[in-house]
Amino acid sequence: MEIKTIEYSKINEKLYIYEHESGLKAFVIPKKGYSKKYASFGAHYGSINNKFIAPYEKDVTAVPDGIAHFLEHKLFEQKDGSVMDKFSVIGANPNAYTSFTQTVYLFSCTDKFSENFNLLLDYVQNPYITEESVEKEKGIIGQEIRMYEDDPNWRAFFNLLRAFYKNNPVSIDIAGTVESISKINRDNLLKCYNTFYHPSNMVILVVGDVDPESTLKMVESSIKTTEHKPQIQRIFPQDESGINKSYVEQNLSVSIPIFQMGFKDENPNTNGVEGLKQEIATKLLLDMIMGRSSSLYNELYESGLINSSFDSDYTIEENYAFSMFGGESSEPLKVRDKIMEEINAIKANGLDEKSFTRIKNATKGRFIKQLNSVERISHLFIPAYFRGALMFDYFDVYDKITFEYVNEVFSKHFREENLALSVVKPV
Amino acid sequence: MMSNLNSEEKVAIIDSFNGIEVYRVYADKFKTNSINIFFQDELSKENAAKNALVPAVLRRGTSRRKSSREIAFYLEELYGSAFDCAVSKKGEYQIIQFYADYVSDKYTGNNTNLFKDCLELLFEIITEPLLENGAFKKDYLEQEKDNLKKIIEGRMNDKVQYAVERCFEEMCKGEPFEIYEYGSIEDLNKIDAGSLYDHYKYILESLPMKVFISGDMEDAKIEYAIKMLKTLKRGNIKDLASPQIIKNVADTRTVTEKLDVSQGKLSIGFRTNTTPSEKDYYSLVVCNSILGGGIHSKLFQNVREKESLAYYAFSRLEKFKGLMLISCGIETANKDKAFDVIMKQIEEIRQGNISDYEYDSSFKSIKTGLESLKDSQLSIVDFYLSQKISNTTDTLKTLYEKFEAVTRDDIVAAAKKVKLDTVYFLTSK
Repeated sequence: MEIKTIEYSKINEKLYIYEHESGLKAFVIPKKGYSKKYASFGAHYGSINNKFIAPYEKDVTAVPDGIAHFLEHKLFEQKDGSVMDKFSVIGANPNAYTSFTQTVYLFSCTDKFSENFNLLLDYVQNPYITEESVEKEKGIIGQEIRMYEDDPNWRAFFNLLRAFYKNNPVSIDIAGTVESISKINRDNLLKCYNTFYHPSNMVILVVGDVDPESTLKMVESSIKTTEHKPQIQRIFPQDESGINKSYVEQNLSVSIPIFQMGFKDENPNTNGVEGLKQEIATKLLLDMIMGRSSSLYNELYESGLINSSFDSDYTIEENYAFSMFGGESSEPLKVRDKIMEEINAIKANGLDEKSFTRIKNATKGRFIKQLNSVERISHLFIPAYFRGALMFDYFDVYDKITFEYVNEVFSKHFREENLALSVVKPV
Repeated sequence: MMSNLNSEEKVAIIDSFNGIEVYRVYADKFKTNSINIFFQDELSKENAAKNALVPAVLRRGTSRRKSSREIAFYLEELYGSAFDCAVSKKGEYQIIQFYADYVSDKYTGNNTNLFKDCLELLFEIITEPLLENGAFKKDYLEQEKDNLKKIIEGRMNDKVQYAVERCFEEMCKGEPFEIYEYGSIEDLNKIDAGSLYDHYKYILESLPMKVFISGDMEDAKIEYAIKMLKTLKRGNIKDLASPQIIKNVADTRTVTEKLDVSQGKLSIGFRTNTTPSEKDYYSLVVCNSILGGGIHSKLFQNVREKESLAYYAFSRLEKFKGLMLISCGIETANKDKAFDVIMKQIEEIRQGNISDYEYDSSFKSIKTGLESLKDSQLSIVDFYLSQKISNTTDTLKTLYEKFEAVTRDDIVAAAKKVKLDTVYFLTSK
């Protein structure tokens, strides 16, 4: 078997890469001296993939909302009981998560890595789903949905997505609704599994103090499929221009309004290193405009309009991208106005190049900090991979971002007509 | 089998003077280093709000860097170093924390000494506050009082956490443990710039301090830190009282709280009647793991997997105060059923009905948890701080050896010592 390596000497990391003949790629990032080994097996399949044409088929399949997440729950079920128990008894912590674009199965362990890794490779490739267990899971997931219904930050976030998008499936709750999951059954679960869980649509990543060669050998011997499947056709509604609504609100039992707002990006360039560049540049801009060292943040803070819960972020995926910033405020509308005022002032006076350089260096330092954690590395690596980039590229991309480029992104992103505000208000 | 735990624990007390203990955590696998300074006080109604407010005001500015903005600016120049403060409670102690972390100099690409810069910044924030007429700057004080008020009122926003804290609070009515780590609005309102400045001096001069320096660095840097710490003006160091742990529960209390919620949250509080320094404590930890410490536990297997009542159901220990708490999120109509299923699990342990799977998995889970601590500098620091606070001297290795010696009979005995105290239910209006 052929193993490629890439050395990143500036940050003292090394990446081992193996490509299986099915098209699956497996990566190992050795972390010498770490106790925890963290292994992930992920599919490029998430909550937004609710319409598709399966390989070898002509017709569009539409599936109930929340099915990707439901499938994640059900994959743990095996013929001889829950695979979680098998991990548990050898001391591993198995887990999984579903996002808009990925489903990732993982475990962390400090002992018996090979046994655990084989378990992971095996159960993700071998679904065992019964009607009875599907019905039972509806009670559990129903409570997961209820928990999120009471979570004001989660609500403010999804309400903002619904303000951005009318039809884009990113605005649908990842877990679906109690109503939508009632339509999930063994057949539609298996249909999704067979469509999206082909090795060529998946990735394997191991981070920790493991031997890269023997780890990748285990991948080689455990992946059974060699067939290359035709592309899955993922069907998305046409990109809508503009935003759906500029303001949305909801009442929940909270002590103070909790808000999220942001700018929707139209036609973002999401692929590969270009996507990373756009992500980093927009995050830098958010820091420059409203980060802890900005005049705006400090004015808002000192006038009591925001507190230290205020934060910003930028998300970019295959067919959506948006910035998001918010926290708690007794007057979210005023915060919005102040932010727009500042953005207009910057449009008139220009961005500050010194801040750009300083914040870029700081962001590089913060990126290096994340390499301390095997979890953080995994959670950065997998989404970047499915977007066609390698996580360590981030570090080099910082140096490629110029002040001119940031100015260009600024003028495209921070447009008032694409700004939406979502508020969760006290009852 | 224990070789891993053995190889890498290198935490040493390196000096102790003026009520300040200095610890060094040796670790060369991380890309960052960190400095943690802790002040420890008794949790009291009188001091809680003030202890929470002092760090919040201190981080707003120093005599040299007059605003949080200037501090943030400086941290960015230090390659994205981080600084912050926090308050927390461990049992009936309130902990005030100041920390900084920064990337190792080898990654800055320049001839930097970030340890010195960050240490000096921490000192500046702690010892050179921005003053106005001999007291804290009034604007900062008022803004931070308002922020703290919002934090106290905002407890209800996170319902999962709220249901846990409210149960503890109801359970410990009349005991110091009921006090919220950020204090109360009533006490907060009484604070003014002068009284807070006096309190600040009290913290600096009389509270026991623990300092942890962690990462890969030369001895000279540690010596420099000690030299600086020795310049702190300290007075008589306060003797802190130990929390009361043993408590006979006369009657089980039931508390129902109604809010506009979609999911009910059931929390059940118990007295463990076990202090962290006695042998029974190790049995209790294993007992808790079997009951609700993970996917192998009785609560997960029964409340979630078998009965489909909840998405989450766990039990956790508050070791410093001798409490155990179970919490889960359920349909409001299922409260009685969930309560019965939960109580049955404890009864099963008391009867000795512990499967090999539950028993073995619990030890494995505890061991994995301990070993995993070593991958985070903050977790290592918190582990040793907790040891100090509970007056125990375990290392990761000795701790695990003590867990390994726990038998099924010990677990049953621990479960029998645990007494139901309070049932708290958060439900819809």
